[in-house]
Amino acid sequence: MTTGPFVAIKDVAKRWNGQLGVEGITLDIPEGSFTALLGPSGCGKSTTLRLLAGLELPDEGKIFIDGKDVTTSAASDRNLSMVFQSYALFPHLSVAENVVFGLKVRRVPKLERQKKLHRALEITGLLGYEDRKPGELSGGQRQRVALARAIVAGQRLCLMDEPLSNLDAKLRNSVRKDIKKLQRDLGITVVYVTHDQTEAMSMADTVVLMKDGHIQQVGPPEELYNKPNNTFVAEFVGAPAMALISSDGLSGFEAGQRLGIRAENIQIVPKGEGRLTCTITESEFLGSETLIGLDHAHATGLCVLKSGMALMPEGDTIDITFTDEHLHVFDASGQRIATQT
Amino acid sequence: MKRFGNFMDSFGAILLAVIWISPLLFAFWAATHSTSDAVNLRLFSPWTMDNFIVAWNGAPWLKYFINTFSLVTVILIGQFILVTLAGFAFAQLQFPGKDFVFILVLMQLFILPEVLIVENYAMVSRLGLFDTILGVGMPYMASAFGIFLMRQAFKGVPIELHEAARIEGCGLLGILWRVYVPLAKPTYLAYALVSVSTHWNNFLWPLIVTNSPETRPLTVGLSIFGAPENGVDISVISAATLMSVAPLLIAFLIFQRQFVQAFLRAGIK
Repeated sequence: MTTGPFVAIKDVAKRWNGQLGVEGITLDIPEGSFTALLGPSGCGKSTTLRLLAGLELPDEGKIFIDGKDVTTSAASDRNLSMVFQSYALFPHLSVAENVVFGLKVRRVPKLERQKKLHRALEITGLLGYEDRKPGELSGGQRQRVALARAIVAGQRLCLMDEPLSNLDAKLRNSVRKDIKKLQRDLGITVVYVTHDQTEAMSMADTVVLMKDGHIQQVGPPEELYNKPNNTFVAEFVGAPAMALISSDGLSGFEAGQRLGIRAENIQIVPKGEGRLTCTITESEFLGSETLIGLDHAHATGLCVLKSGMALMPEGDTIDITFTDEHLHVFDASGQRIATQT
Repeated sequence: MKRFGNFMDSFGAILLAVIWISPLLFAFWAATHSTSDAVNLRLFSPWTMDNFIVAWNGAPWLKYFINTFSLVTVILIGQFILVTLAGFAFAQLQFPGKDFVFILVLMQLFILPEVLIVENYAMVSRLGLFDTILGVGMPYMASAFGIFLMRQAFKGVPIELHEAARIEGCGLLGILWRVYVPLAKPTYLAYALVSVSTHWNNFLWPLIVTNSPETRPLTVGLSIFGAPENGVDISVISAATLMSVAPLLIAFLIFQRQFVQAFLRAGIK
């Protein structure tokens, strides 16, 4: 066991022909943790992962894995495995050959290869599929082959690049649990790239939220949810996302400030008693509750949750209220103001 | 009007096919009959195999067959090696002057090989490969067509597979051998086909660069066998011709379907 973080990225930057890739990425990842790189497309999360994998080389900064400086090492020397978005299974090889591809390249003896193959297929529930070609498998099965290939060598670091985006919604939920369980059981360190905040929030120990090549906030999911660093984090994390109200719409705040409020902290009150009067724009029945979208001149993304089936007619006006303790205050540049009353 | 068009299409196709195959049919006819019967087209004259026996004893055919076979094999192996490496470099590697070099390679496609005969002759002599199988094959090994074909095939391989192999610990040549080459199999097959049939039939260059029966391929052997100074016997020459083309012809007939599929698949990629 080494002291210090298992993976350390220090001030890494990568630019393409002057265009921004990522800039000033500094990140520590402890061993055995599940870290999600989250952000909208083009935010640099995949670039960060590729830098870590060694598929790209950084223009600035250093990368350490397990205490070793791997900044300029080849991908094959970094002792990691990777799951690609498209799975990247070799179409001309059978499931078994795909899984042991890396072991074969690294000249692992045949007997050991067999043993590891069996174990990996067992874990991923693929026993009996050894001789199939990837083309004969369903999307979910291919995904599991990719996972089996990632775990077969017993690498301690596994990188995943949006591994669930090609699966349908139902399968995605179950595979999500499988991956999480796999990571815990094997005690491996996973760095997981996704644009889906639900995935990141539900799986990760640490979420790294990125935008335009910069890290916006690093922390456990609840921290991003409860204490967003800035308005971007506030609006990206959570479903529904946090509503933002400009201080013009509320009394008692400085000009230019913006106030964030989560839907679950908003109550509907009788006319005349609320702090804001809004127009209903939509009602969305979610099953256990109904999401009611609201429109207000000084607010964006305002909505409120009502339990059960409670559709409300569009165009009606209602009054809402909330307490100051639930408000997140952001300054004019969008940064969180720490001191709250 | 449309039906007439269809009729013309079929008619044209059949006409072309007949024109195409008639020399072969005549050769078959002539080879299996005595000379006078063949020339006078006596339809009910008796069949005979004598011409084949006469032809076979008239020249060292077995040696010619072996020569042609080794020639196309040597060329194909050389081509596969060069074309694979060059195609991979042009498809996946970055090096200064890549585009310029690629254009130079493509320019080879515009030049008829016959134009270069003198230059090739001089080169093969300088290398001391005159009158050897390797010397006959060498000028054709760095095939621009093959390099272009392979480059296209390799470009069609998804980059993720390349990256996955890299992460799994493959070196550059390992990736080429384990990922690119197997995925380009249909292209290799199609290319092998073109190469083998071209060089099986190649005549002018081997005629110039070979000097002895030890290295002479079938085509050259056949033309010497059929040369006027040996006396023209149409039946015997036809028999010899049939023997020369038979291996290729039989292979094509047997593997017809695979060949067509190989071309289709190589095209789709």
